[in-house]
Amino acid sequence: MNEFEILVQLVTAFFGSLGFALLFGLGTRHLFTSSLGGMLSWGLYLAVFSFSKDVFIACLVASVFAMIYSEFLAKRHKSPATLFIIPAIIPLVPGSSLYYAMSYAVRGDVENAKIHGHQTVIWVLAIAAGISFTTTIKELRQR
Amino acid sequence: MELSKEQQADLLDCLLETGQQLLESGAEISRVEDTISRIAKAYGARHADVFVITSIISISLEFSGTDFVSETRRIYSSAGTDFNKLEKLNSLSRVVCNNLISLKDFHASLSEIASMKKPFWLILIGSMLAAGSFAVFFGGSIYDGVASILFAIEICICQNYLDKTKVSTAASNLLISLIIGICVGLVCRAVPALHMDKILIGDIMLLIPGLAMTNAVRNILVGNTISGAVRLIESLIWAGALAGGFMTAIIIIDTIF
Repeated sequence: MNEFEILVQLVTAFFGSLGFALLFGLGTRHLFTSSLGGMLSWGLYLAVFSFSKDVFIACLVASVFAMIYSEFLAKRHKSPATLFIIPAIIPLVPGSSLYYAMSYAVRGDVENAKIHGHQTVIWVLAIAAGISFTTTIKELRQR
Repeated sequence: MELSKEQQADLLDCLLETGQQLLESGAEISRVEDTISRIAKAYGARHADVFVITSIISISLEFSGTDFVSETRRIYSSAGTDFNKLEKLNSLSRVVCNNLISLKDFHASLSEIASMKKPFWLILIGSMLAAGSFAVFFGGSIYDGVASILFAIEICICQNYLDKTKVSTAASNLLISLIIGICVGLVCRAVPALHMDKILIGDIMLLIPGLAMTNAVRNILVGNTISGAVRLIESLIWAGALAGGFMTAIIIIDTIF
């Protein structure tokens, strides 16, 4: 992946998150910070992936970051964290591998369908693990 | 603070309304339960037993020894998302818990929040931006992004129409993905420079029940296993409907052309 592609991904991650923030009716004063969260978590994913070469670890780190970032903003604005989680985590959602798994399965290409299906499951598990990890830490700190 | 029988019924009504609106704007279950019992206790209930799942809110309040009130409300659509409303409700409940405003004012603020509606243009712009960006994000060209934006408009119009009918979320996902899949397929056959996969991925991102899934996982973790599991199964069914619609569209396009 060259610099230009990375730049394009970061910019589109920002605007994609902004799109979701608008779509879900997030208040104007949170728009920038929450979209920035999406861009930063994707940037972190790319950075971790570039040296660990492991999708699960990279996605886990990015989703833990997204959760911490949202909890931090939530605390600062005294608002529910849900508001910030979605824009921050949306670039990690495996829309692409889900689509390819589906489309190969329909066309009878079992090998490729398996590869992409496996990818989708890894992504989803990593996001879920990231959410679990942060939520548990938060619960521990409250008691 | 002692409430008369009438006021107790009023309070119960306000609590149900708060709960329903929280659910309908995309709050997680634990937040709904927590908010309701906090407000009830702030108004002098000794015990507040609240049970919420995605389709039901059930509240029992005990004021003193023999003084009970209880009511259940069935929720028909809990799939919406409105973060503006969610934030307003959250700060309202903060105000209510801290410096007890009168029940009448509480009611008035609630109906004010209830009457707020996300403007259609905002949903439209948000969807266009998200679909276009993600089509390029996942490796599409600029033209794929533009096509994805155009189909996002189509999704919005379909969704807007289906929301007014009684169609369930699963059925509407199935229908929308089928229509979009066929349209994108046809356009891509007519204009070979476009990539069908990238355009569809951009539009899929709009329909994936991401919020429902994240909330489900968070609910299960904080101990709301039943509601979390219900939500998780619901969102898996929605995602399944989505996949089914697109698959059918791909098969139709592949067989005809």
